[in-house]
Amino acid sequence: MAIAADVVRAGFAGIVGESQVLYGEPACAGLRVDGRLPRCVVYPTSAEQAAQVLKFAAENGLAVIAIGGGSKLGIGNPPQKYDVALCLRDMKKTLHYEPADLTAGVEAGTTFQEFQDLLRRDGLWLPLDPPGRERATLGGIVAANASGPLRQLYGTPRDMVLGMRIATTEGKVVKTGGRVVKNVAGFDLGKLLIGSFGTLGVIVEVNLKLFPIPAERETFILSAGTLGIARDLRRRILNSPLEPARLVLLDAEASNLIRPVASLDSAAREPEIWVEASGSKAVIDRTRKDLEELGRAVGAKVQLSDQEGSRASWRLIADFSNWFHVTSPESLVLKGTMPTAHCEEFLSLAQQEAGNEKVKVTSITQVGVGIMVLGLVGSNGANPMVPLVTRLRKSLEKLGGALTVIAAPVEFKEQVDAWGTPGSGLKMMQKLKAAWDPKGILAPGRFVGGI
Amino acid sequence: MKRTPLIKELTAIMGREAVLSRPEDLMLYEYDALSALRTPDAVVFPTTTEQVVRLVKLAADQKTPIVPRGAGTGLSGGAVVTEGGIVISLARMKKILEIDLESQRARVQPGVVNTDLSLAVADGGFYYAPDPSSQKACTIGGNVAENSGGPHTLAYGVTTNHVLGLEVVLPDGEVIRAGGKCWETPGYDLTGLLVGSEGTLGIVTEITVRLMRRPEAVETMVAIYDRVMDATRTVVAITSEGITPAALEMMDGFTLRAVEQATHAGYPMDSAAVLLIEVEGLGEAVSEQARQIEAVCGRNNVRAVRRAKTPDERALFWKGRKNAFGALGRISPNYYVQDGVIPRTRLPEMLEYIEAVGRKYDLRIGNIFHAGDGNLHPLLMFDARDRDQSQRVVKAAQEIMGRCAELGGSITGEHGVGVEKNELMPLIFSEDDLEIQRQIKSLFNPSGLFNPGKVLPTGKMCGEIRVQVGSGA
Repeated sequence: MAIAADVVRAGFAGIVGESQVLYGEPACAGLRVDGRLPRCVVYPTSAEQAAQVLKFAAENGLAVIAIGGGSKLGIGNPPQKYDVALCLRDMKKTLHYEPADLTAGVEAGTTFQEFQDLLRRDGLWLPLDPPGRERATLGGIVAANASGPLRQLYGTPRDMVLGMRIATTEGKVVKTGGRVVKNVAGFDLGKLLIGSFGTLGVIVEVNLKLFPIPAERETFILSAGTLGIARDLRRRILNSPLEPARLVLLDAEASNLIRPVASLDSAAREPEIWVEASGSKAVIDRTRKDLEELGRAVGAKVQLSDQEGSRASWRLIADFSNWFHVTSPESLVLKGTMPTAHCEEFLSLAQQEAGNEKVKVTSITQVGVGIMVLGLVGSNGANPMVPLVTRLRKSLEKLGGALTVIAAPVEFKEQVDAWGTPGSGLKMMQKLKAAWDPKGILAPGRFVGGI
Repeated sequence: MKRTPLIKELTAIMGREAVLSRPEDLMLYEYDALSALRTPDAVVFPTTTEQVVRLVKLAADQKTPIVPRGAGTGLSGGAVVTEGGIVISLARMKKILEIDLESQRARVQPGVVNTDLSLAVADGGFYYAPDPSSQKACTIGGNVAENSGGPHTLAYGVTTNHVLGLEVVLPDGEVIRAGGKCWETPGYDLTGLLVGSEGTLGIVTEITVRLMRRPEAVETMVAIYDRVMDATRTVVAITSEGITPAALEMMDGFTLRAVEQATHAGYPMDSAAVLLIEVEGLGEAVSEQARQIEAVCGRNNVRAVRRAKTPDERALFWKGRKNAFGALGRISPNYYVQDGVIPRTRLPEMLEYIEAVGRKYDLRIGNIFHAGDGNLHPLLMFDARDRDQSQRVVKAAQEIMGRCAELGGSITGEHGVGVEKNELMPLIFSEDDLEIQRQIKSLFNPSGLFNPGKVLPTGKMCGEIRVQVGSGA
């Protein structure tokens, strides 16, 4: 039963105030999800307001998608229903900040950039380089467990979140975890929310662990020639005592796109391994020496990128999944996760399968972590993407991995599930969803197995 | 169900060798490292997931509680029975199922002893990072249940940061796999929820963990202080200057004297406190950090800093630390180990507070703890035969926990809640916070037969430590 427009208006205005709710096309245009436009966008200014908005929506059967900076709205299946965008941009207070303790707590709408600016003054940072970081909020980053190549050394939000407060569809604000760096009191509900993409509750506050900014960084580029050599390099680097901050494999297509940004000489036309070392000068010198030795052993030459060029390149590498799709909207962006031992093997398979269908692959792989972002662009005419992705997914699942769709045209997403084959835990996940969101109003249908 | 038919059914599933039912055998399973409560009706030793499933189904049919158990080294009573029932010991499920050094993973059964996994991968240059003090006895399954820590979790995180996949038998007998070898699998992070759930949500029958490369260089130092305050200030300074040691441990004078008498690790008997500091990594980074740390110690009135010159000396420094609880057992009939966390910058005032609590209750309190992450382990000495003293110990511990909560900390950093602190949970969680935890528990464990009476408040003794101290220590 559809709820009358005036009831919705009065309801939301009563919670957040009239000026904090906007209706209709121009206000909501930027909040489209897979082409769908919400009826309105609500901007709560407190955790309690956010919880009340959810309660009202649940009582009235309004489907809600929680939004921070809107940088990851393309991830997931098309929503079954989308009435309200719950946007946290007006919740950006710093709740506590203890530089000496290396901890901070902020409201979820705090942008990544604002937070880093605050920390930098004290020589600290949150060592993440997630896609879309110009716009991304901390709440969104945590809800997506988003990370980038820095994951090699520092992990993901899952390793940095100390506690959080969550607005529930019951209208409550509940706490999990705490503010200290070590804490095992009670069930670790935060883990459920991290990476839940707003389908269980809405993260309204997060407490985070902070890190000192390393003194220096240097980027080394190792030409790999073939994927076989790339594999050899990966094994040697990961078996060495080196502790790279970032370690990625760019296939020839990707390196052709990135190299000009690093103001390096003409296109490489071969796969490359990019390594970022961080720490003191002595550590960086040692890394260079070891990499040169490693490179010699497999016939790979080592190039150094200048500071400015490498900073710009790493930004582009981290943000690959975003810009690749933006520059060619017909493209697909996929994320493969796999045991690290299978990285090159799967890439080679993907290149081959795609090549057979005249589809071009561009890929960046965190080879020390086992995360591969693939951009696929088809040639005009035939549309081989659906069977191709289905095949690749099956192959990767056989290797113990998973292939998810990060960005794709809606028509594609209507045919292929964004997440892949859910494991035997699905029933438990559905029960959790039913307990936290009994009316099914939070991003309905967007998550794994129809959740 | 009456005991005899239950034993018969259990024997039918397990075979005679895998069931204990004589009173003298069962008595041994009344305890873990915290205390003793009730005697179980039976103890069984499955060797396969299939057997665990059959046990779980039998228990569900018979409405009998089930308590999973590893090595019984836990410090919060997680593995003791509260109302009878079957203890499922996973100690015989101790196979290492797979080692994949290239992907830096191992798949193990829950009964594998923590150190044994590290030993199994040592030749390849790898190890399993979480290192509880009991690591030579405790099992990976128990570590998963408690989300155990250890000295080196300062740099590398606790168990949850190293566990990627689980096979779990749910209370209805269904077997699910959560996570796997990869860092990410689509869907909710059930692995993350199950780690630290203390056996109340399911029984873990297989674990996939991350292995780490052994660092190239290690430097272990002991910094000796004449005043406790100087040692705690050093800890604060090391953290706030952005130096990240692999471990940063502290012992006060009382504790270190007991340790020294027991292990002869070379801690000076007349000092007020020592810090045990370890840095690891690339040789270049280690020598720089060691120098920086020495400088910080120097600015904080350290008497001397000793560096371990040989691996043997390093092992000796650590032996002192890891055997500290045992050493205190030599000088006091009983002790009660506490486990609280505070923001690290509050260490100096917190130690003063603990000292004041000791004076107030006329108790000797030793301090040994993971200073680098603000995880305190005050040890309250007493004689369990003295009822009044035992009661004072519980009250004193409670006040210390209350203070941790007031400072924005936690009532447990690594030992778990168990039966010890479930009634203290309201110190840090509101009724709404606890309600959502209860909901999670009843989703997985609707009959409440899995490890009953643990983690969440029962409401029987609100805001109190429920343990009978002295029975086990």
